[in-house]
Amino acid sequence: MEVTITNQESKTVVVLNGRIDTTTVEKFQQDVSPLMEGENPDIDIDCTALSYTSSQGLRTFLMLQKSVMKRGGKMVMRNMNPQVKEVFDITGFSNIITIV
Amino acid sequence: MKKRFNPIRDKSSEIIEYLMSSPEIPDDEVLQFKLRLSIEEAVENVVRYAYDGGIGWLEADIHFDQDSLLLTIELRDAGTPFNPLQREDPDVNQSAEDRDIGGLGIFLCKKMMDSIEYRYENGNNVLTMRKKV
Repeated sequence: MEVTITNQESKTVVVLNGRIDTTTVEKFQQDVSPLMEGENPDIDIDCTALSYTSSQGLRTFLMLQKSVMKRGGKMVMRNMNPQVKEVFDITGFSNIITIV
Repeated sequence: MKKRFNPIRDKSSEIIEYLMSSPEIPDDEVLQFKLRLSIEEAVENVVRYAYDGGIGWLEADIHFDQDSLLLTIELRDAGTPFNPLQREDPDVNQSAEDRDIGGLGIFLCKKMMDSIEYRYENGNNVLTMRKKV
C-alpha cells in the first residue's frame, strides 16, 4: 500500500495505490496522519489504484472525515473502482464522505 | 481443505491467504473481492477477540459443492462463546459525527455472502459463511 501526498497551492492531493487490509492498515494510518493536521484542509483523494479496503480502512477514512469537518475543511474521494465503491455504499459511507 | 492454526496471534494474513489460495476460490475478480473481504472480517474477529491475548487456535475450512454451486467457508475456535450475528447492524444513515466505528466487519460479511450462520458446538464457536459462485 502506497500513499503519495502532494501539496498543490491550497489543495492537498493524495494518491492511494494498493490494498488496505489487516497487513497494511497500520502503515496506511501512519502515512495519512499528516492529513489530520492543519486548518481548513482541502483534501482530494485519488482512489484509481486503490484495489481493496476492509472495515479497517473504512475506520481510517471515517476518522479522517471527522477530523477534516472539525477543522472546517473539505475532503473528496474520486475514481473508486466499483467493488470499493460498493463497500462505501453498503456501509452508508457514501452518505458521509463526498465521492465523485 | 482444512487447516488448524495455533497460536493465531498475528496470523490473520496467513489464515486469509490460506483460504484465498484454495483451488475452490473461483477465478473471478468481483467474487474474489467479496470473498476476501468476508474472510478477512471473520478471521480478524476471531484473532482479535476470541482469545484473551491471541493464544488459541482457529480451524479454517473451505469447501465447494458441485451440485449446489455453494462455496462454504467455516471458521472454528475454542475461545469465549460469542455470537457475532447477535450484534445490531450499524445504522448506515447516521451522519459522520454520530457514526461510531464498531460493528462494520460482520455487517460487511452479511452483505457480501449469501448466508452466514453461527453455532456453539462442543465448546467451539463455529461461523459458517456460504456463497453461490
